[in-house]
Formats: sequence, structure tokens, C-alpha cells
Amino acid sequence: MHGFLLTQLLTGLASAAQLFLLAAGLTVIFGVTRVVNFAHGALYMLGAYLGYSLITRAPPTPLGFALGALATAGAVAALGAALEIGLLRRLYRAPELFQLLATFAVALMAEDLTQRLWGAEDLALPRPGFLAAAVRIGAARFPLYDLVLIGLGPAVYLALLALFRTTRWGVLVRAATADRDMLACLGVDQRWLFTAVFALGAGLAGLGGALSLPDATATLQMGFSSVTDAFVVVVVGGLGSLSGAALASLLIGLLQAFGIALVPRSTLVLVFVVMAATLMLRPHGLLGRAPGETGGAAAAPDLIRPATPALRALALVALLAAIALPFLAGPFLLSVATEALIALLFAASLHLMMGPGGMASFGHAAWFGLGAYGAALAALALRAPLPLALVMGMLLAGAVAALFGLVVVRLAGVYLAMLTLAFAQIVWAGAMQFEEISGGDNGLLGVWPPRWLQGPIGFYVLALALCVGGALVLRRALQAPFGYALRGARDAPQRAAAIGLDIARLRWAAFTLAGAAAGLAGALYVFAKGSVFPTYLGLGRSVDALLMVLLGGVGTMSGPFVGALVYTGLYDALLLATDAWRLVLGAAIVAMVLLFPDGIAGAVARRVRA
Amino acid sequence: MLQVERLCSFYGRAQILHDVGFAIAPGSVAVLLGRNGAGKSTVLKSLIGLVPPQTGRIRFETADIAGLPPHRIARTGIGYVPEERRIFAELTVAENLETGRRPPRPGLAPWTAARLFALFPALAELRRRPAGRMSGGEQQMLAIARTLMGNPRLVLLDEPGEGLAPLMVRQIEVAVRALREEGVSLLIAEQGPAFARAVADQVLVMEKGAVVWSGTHAALDADAPARRRYLAL
Amino acid sequence: MTLLAAEHLSRRFGGVTALRDVSFAVAAGEVVALIGPNGAGKSTCFNLLSGQLRPSGGRIRLDGRDITGLDPPSICRRGVGRSFQITATFASMTVRENVQLALLAHHRQIWRFWRPAAAAFRAEAQALLAELGMDAEADRAAAVLAYGDLKRLELAVALAGAPRLLLMDEPTAGMAPGERGALMALIRRLAGERGLGVLFTEHDMDAVFGTADRILVLARGALIAAGRPEEIRADAEVQRVYLGVEG
Repeated sequence: MHGFLLTQLLTGLASAAQLFLLAAGLTVIFGVTRVVNFAHGALYMLGAYLGYSLITRAPPTPLGFALGALATAGAVAALGAALEIGLLRRLYRAPELFQLLATFAVALMAEDLTQRLWGAEDLALPRPGFLAAAVRIGAARFPLYDLVLIGLGPAVYLALLALFRTTRWGVLVRAATADRDMLACLGVDQRWLFTAVFALGAGLAGLGGALSLPDATATLQMGFSSVTDAFVVVVVGGLGSLSGAALASLLIGLLQAFGIALVPRSTLVLVFVVMAATLMLRPHGLLGRAPGETGGAAAAPDLIRPATPALRALALVALLAAIALPFLAGPFLLSVATEALIALLFAASLHLMMGPGGMASFGHAAWFGLGAYGAALAALALRAPLPLALVMGMLLAGAVAALFGLVVVRLAGVYLAMLTLAFAQIVWAGAMQFEEISGGDNGLLGVWPPRWLQGPIGFYVLALALCVGGALVLRRALQAPFGYALRGARDAPQRAAAIGLDIARLRWAAFTLAGAAAGLAGALYVFAKGSVFPTYLGLGRSVDALLMVLLGGVGTMSGPFVGALVYTGLYDALLLATDAWRLVLGAAIVAMVLLFPDGIAGAVARRVRA
Repeated sequence: MLQVERLCSFYGRAQILHDVGFAIAPGSVAVLLGRNGAGKSTVLKSLIGLVPPQTGRIRFETADIAGLPPHRIARTGIGYVPEERRIFAELTVAENLETGRRPPRPGLAPWTAARLFALFPALAELRRRPAGRMSGGEQQMLAIARTLMGNPRLVLLDEPGEGLAPLMVRQIEVAVRALREEGVSLLIAEQGPAFARAVADQVLVMEKGAVVWSGTHAALDADAPARRRYLAL
Repeated sequence: MTLLAAEHLSRRFGGVTALRDVSFAVAAGEVVALIGPNGAGKSTCFNLLSGQLRPSGGRIRLDGRDITGLDPPSICRRGVGRSFQITATFASMTVRENVQLALLAHHRQIWRFWRPAAAAFRAEAQALLAELGMDAEADRAAAVLAYGDLKRLELAVALAGAPRLLLMDEPTAGMAPGERGALMALIRRLAGERGLGVLFTEHDMDAVFGTADRILVLARGALIAAGRPEEIRADAEVQRVYLGVEG
């Protein structure tokens, strides 16, 4: 029994060290620049791939391994500096969402380029004797390398502390973390400080990636899975706090080790419970502080005007064309159009939250996927007819959103974005893990609509009615007093409270409504595809929704309509035209964030007004 | 040394400064007087670049500095000590001084931690203490000392005596005089004329975002109507 | 008749006492100014009255009913309107919609999801804007108003809640000198016509002495004087605080 406890303790400490190496760079970068670097996971992944190339070329000795890992850290640090100078410098004053999106785009491009350079195969580091060695602890054998990690984590932590405590550079960085403007008044040019900090954070990610190789393989998916872990650690520890990240890594690493041993598969739930409990008791994390003034000043919201007669006429023509489509188009085009309609409702639900609600979500796919799984399970396990299955999917998503909303609607900005993302990733992992319910990676198959709706025309008409109807209902709510109050709470929260509005309740209602609407979209999608997979809950789908809303323009009422249609069209065209879609999509996002920040509908509205 | 012409500054769309103009001679001490809300802090923030002026000219020695970012303005030789002091609370006294250190400037004896501890003896004993755990007066001294580490030729002091006990105020007066001896110019914002009387070569009175009176403190003493109008109730 | 009564209010932040045993009253129809040097505790006092902060000690009564420690929406519903030092209006709406939303909130019609809000209380909003001389601006975006108009819009939004007490934090800050007199005259008139109690802080002494029935002077968290403008002008302690002739 003691042996068991000891090995679990050591396993926990080793994974805590890994987590710390992963998260330290993210928290250091955020502390100084206030940028949540979504590309952090991609840098970690690059660290693994580059580390693989460098370490396999070095002599198979401990020294060769160490030098390879250090060289990797240096190379990734240089990449980080280039990224800061080339992209982030232009975005420090932009809204947080744009920083998240731009770094997300970088992550997409990095994944594509990595695949081009190293191939799609997972890479496993050959394990010479010194990496495969184990020590005997009681009855069990424990990997020697994990013991090294247990020493390395605290060593890196102490080295960072020393860097920040004893060097002039470290003193300036700590001062910049506390009060950038005052530091500028003392003649310090923050730009190079920021570049250096970014390089340091990136270098740490690279080091972490290289050091993860002996225990794991380098995969293309590790970028996005590791960034979620890093977000959880940093949110629990407190954004910007190095010691907080260390503490949170320890907490989560140990909980996972003991959780797995005691209750197999409890880890996901445990992580989420830890995160929710921490944020309820300490909304800014274990050692975090309430953020002061952030750099990203929100742009003044656009005036929302009622639709002009021309716009109404255009909408009517579009609707008539959509109704006439079954008579004009073939089955392929109809199925693409059905997807576009579902995307429309999905985008409209996110727009409600993000635009008028003022709550950026990076995990909107959670509600879409919950709706999808809810409907599929209702249809398969309960043999519910289609209408009931749709309602059950919608209710499941709405109910979970209502519960989760209770925890998060009091948070704002990056915390909310990161929490929604982490929640979606946890639901995703749950769908992968609980195979007997969700079918795991294989998904649930054979969820078809009843005979009278089968065939592209019948289902298209159903999707048209429900999606356009649903989106119009949401739009209507936004034009009703509720929508005005929601916008009021976003525009000027203090003023809204002073005229008697209950901001938390308004935001909670919007969150729940958006969750339910996204759930309906997900439920319909299952019947359109006949199956449901964990990817429905994935980060990619959350970002699809974000891009649709941003492409259309957050600040307009017709934005989600335009954005969903244009995006679905572009996406399908892109998929057909090139296998480099991630690269193209990433570049397009970067271009949009830099050049086109108020979306298509926003730009048109601006032109019309001018 | 400093020449300000027709300066207009805004917070958002609220105009705070309306055509502010004045000049400061090398090595002199000017005091900006006025009730709170008159725009004194905004003048200083516009000079250092924290509130970039919308229109107007600021000439410091040979450079046009209006619209430059704060770090560039600071490097031309202007130091700024804000009203809230904005010391780095988690850094020690010595570390706070380090954040202000800049290369020496020709013609000025460079400030070192040792010289500053001589100027503010109270700080010398607190070298290793986190600045957040010092009294208001000690923090004020630290804020001034930190700015001096950059070897400025002109120091902007925003309400240095605010909220301090009379004894502390007197110590700051002593320091201001010592700085003038060194050839450093000062522009000090204050609410009451007491401090100005003690140190100023020139008094500028502000009201509603404009400079409405200027002259020596003796002239202000003699001008009872102006005192009543702009400073009293 | 006493509308607002603050009784022995105090507020500490950590070890610092920002407000110490402050008592005063505002009657219906009375315009009262709260002045004092920086850091005197004016903002703290305001935030206690409007519910942004809870007092560490003391009571606040409105019409004799205890409202101590209620949150801002609840205090608003009991008849207290406020304007902010830095204007806070709903930037994505027109001038009229700003007022309509405040009217909807006042009439408890926020939780409606279907009938468009554009038609709700339109005439009432227009009438209120007309009263403040802003009816020509009704369809403009609140975000593009001149600063003086923004201040008047804030006033209209506060009045839409039919308050009996109006708290105004530096109503003329940032306005051109010419506009200030007009705004203060408007406030004066509204107080008379509606029997509205007004408590305001202000740096512009012309506005204070030209408008207020009574003046309260705070210094270092304590009330050092209260009285009619000419009494305050003659008060030696007040002169000492403002002129700094101590020591």
C-alpha cells in the first residue's frame, strides 16, 4: 500500500512538472503583455517535433539529449520573438478576442506546416538505455526519466524566480507587469521588453515540448490538447502568476494521479470540479489578482439601426430563393445548403452571446455537441421520434448551459473565453472517454430522420423552417426589451445597474438561450449526417462559429446571417480546392483581424452610413 | 527650456485643457496652482505623453515632444512623478530605483542610489523593503528618487505634498531646493499656495482647463482678488 | 421634509478610513452640493449612497425607510437616480432608445422577448427629451453626441426612473464653460418643478455657489462644514482647508 501511494505520488509529481513546463510560459507572457497566447500549444508541439529532429541527430547520450532539448528551446524562442514582432505588436491595443483569434490562426498554420515538414505520422523518440531506465521503489519500478522531470520542474521554477528577482531585466519585467505606463514614463521601451518576454515564454513551451518526448509521442493534435491543459493550469493558478501556475500544476498533477488510481476515468470531472471550485471561491485563481486596466480597450459599440427597407427586401428575396431551392438544385447542393442553414442558427446563437451579450466564448461547440449527443441518445436509446429527440437535444444543451452559466456569467473577458474553451474541451474529452454511452471515437451511428423526411428535400425544408425560424426568434428577442437591456448591460454596466437592471441575470438568460439554440442546431445536424462524433464538440467547431460571427461582424444584427452563409461557402470551396486549408484559413483569419476587424456586414454598414 | 503653446487635451471626448500656454526657464521652479479639477494633472500628463495632446506644441530644449510616446519623452530628459506615486508595490526600494536608472547626461552629476539615500535618508534604511509596505511619505520620496535615477533635466511633480504630514511636506521642500541647486528645473502642481510660496520662482494659476494668471508668488500675495477668485471659495 | 438622511456614515478600506461619521440630510426640492479637496471622501460618500459600496458603519434612510447596504438596482427602484462623473450611456443605441430602455426598466418590462422595444414608451421618451431641450437629437446615436449633450442625456436617463433623489457626480466636468451654467440652471428648474432632491459634487465653484441651496464640505473623510453658500464662504475652517494656510 505504501508502495502504491509512493508511486502515485511520484507519477503525480512528474505530471505536475510536465504541466508546469507547459504552462509557465503562457502565464509569464500573459502577466506582462496581457495577451492570452493561443499559439502556446502550437509552440509546445513545435518543441516536440523540433526536439525530435535535434535529439535524434545528437549522440544518444544524456548530454546529447540535454543539448538537443536546449537547442530546441532556443529555436522556439526565436520563433516566438518573430511572432511577437510580426503579429502581436499590432494587436496589443485590440480587443482580447482578436488576440485570441490571431494566435489561434497561428496555431492552425503551425499545424499545417508541421504536417508538411514532418509528415502526418506520430513520432516516437527512440529510447536508448538511459531514457528507458527505471528505479525500483518497493515492489514497483519507476521510470528514471520521470524522477529527472520531478527535479527539473522545480529547477526551472527556481531559475525563473532568480531571473525575475536578481537581474535588471527581471526587475523591469516585474515592474511592467504591475504598471506598464509608469515604466514607460521612466524611459523604458516596453516593446523590446515584450518581445523578450514572448521569446522566453515560447522558449519554455519549446523546452516543455522537447522534454515531453520520452514519455509521449509528437503528434499533430498535441498543440490543441496541450493548450487546453495550459489554460486550465493558468486559470486555476491565476493569470500571470508564476507561483500560481506551479501550485496549480502540483494540485492538478496529484489529483489526476490519485484520481485515476482510485476512480478510473474520474480525471476529467475532477479537473473541471477543481476549476469550478477555484473560480467560485477565488474568481481570479489561487494566486491571481483582479486585473487592473487591460491593454485591450473595447472599441465603442456600433449603433444598431432597424433594418432598412432595402435590407428587408433583400432578406425576403433570399428567403424566397431558399424556399425555391429544392426545385432548382440537386441533392449535393441541397445537402450543402442544409449545412449552411444549421451553421446559420449556430452562428446566430453565438452572436447573441458575444455581440449583444458581450460574452466572448471559445467553446460554443460544447452546446452544439451536447445538443447533438442528446438528440442521438434520445433517438437511439429511448427510441424517441425526431421531434422529441430534437427537443431533448435542445433541452440538454440549454440545461447544461444554464448550470454552467451560473458559474461563469460574473466573469468577463479572457477568463470567460478560456473557461468556455476549457469546458468544451472537457466535454469533448468526456465524449471520447465514456465509450459505452457516447461510442467514444467511433461516435454514434444510424441516427436517421423518419422515412417521410428522408431524402435531401424533406430534411432541407425542416432545417429551413427550424433554423431560419430559430434565428429569427433570437433576432426578435434582441429587438425586444430583453435585447435592449442585454446591450445596455454590455455598453455601460454601471449605468445599467443604476437604472435597475440585474446584469448577472440578463447575461445568464442570454447564455442559456444561446446554449439551447446551439443545441437545436447540433440536434438537427445529427439527423442531417446520421451520426455524431466527438469532433462535433471540438475546438474546430467552436472556432467555425467564432469566425462566422466575426466575418459577419459582431456589432450588427445581420452579421451572423451573412457570416454563416459566406463562411460555409468559402469553407466548402476551400476544402475542395486545396489540401492546405488550415494554412489558408489561418492566413485569412490573420488578414481579417488586421485589416477587416468589423466584419463584412459591419464594413457594409459603415460604407452605407458614410 | 520648456515651451508650451495652445495645448488642448481630451479624456475621451471630454475636453480638459483649453489652449494652455506657458514657458519655464532653465534651472527654475514653476508651480501650477488651482483647485482640484482645474486641469493641473492633465497638463503634466500631456507633457509626459500619458494623455497625448490633440493640438498644440510642446518644445523641450531643442525637441518637439508633443505626440511622442512616454518613453521617448522621458529619454529626452523629462521625469514625471504622478500624484498617485505609482511606485511598484511588490518591488523593493532598491528595485524601484533600478527601474528608473538611465545613462548619465552631460552637464549633470549622475544620480546614484547612494546620492539619493543622502538626499532622502529615510529611504536608506528601507532598501530591502517592498515599497508597498511603506508610509505615504516614504512612498512619495521613493517616487521622486526613482524618477531622479533617470537623470532628468526637468521634473514634473504632481501634488507632492498631498495627504502627507507637515513634517514630510517640509522634507520634500528641502529636496526640491536641493534639486534646484543641482540645476534641475521643476514644474510642480499644487492645490494650495503654501508650497508654492516656499519654493516657486514662477506661479501659474489654472482654472477650468486654462492658465488664467501667472507671475511671481510675491505678485500673487499682492493680488488678493485673483487669490479669492481662483483659489478660495 | 427630509428625503434623504445619512446618519453617522463611515467607510474603511483596509486600515484607511475614507469616511468618518458623516451625517447630513437632503430635503425634497432642495439642491445640495458636496465639495472638498481631492481625497476628501466625496466619491466614497456617493458610492455608499448609490449602493456601489456598503458602509462600514451608519445608516442611510430614504423617506424614513432604511436603504443601507442595498445593491444599486434595488436603490434605483426605491427612487434614487444617478449620473456618473465619466459619462456612461448606451453607445449602441440612439438618444431616444437610451431613455426608452430606462423607462422599460422603470416599468419592469425588461423580461419581454417578443414585442419590439422600438415602440415602447416612445412618446414618453420623446417628451422627456423635449423637456431637456434634446428632442431634435432623439434619433442620433448616443455615441456621437457632443459632450454637453451627453451629460444632458445622462440626466434624461436618470430622470426616466422618476427618481425622488438625484445623485450627480461632477455634472459639469469636461463641459465647455458656457454650457455649464445652462446645465445647472436646468437642474435647478427640475428640482423646483418636480420636488426632486438633488445632491451633487462639483469642482466648478461658480456652479456650486450659483446653484446650491446648501453646501456640505468634506475634508479628510469628515464633514467640516454645512450651510448656505454665504455661510460656507465665511467659514474660516473651510478657507483654511482650501487655501492650505495651515502650518
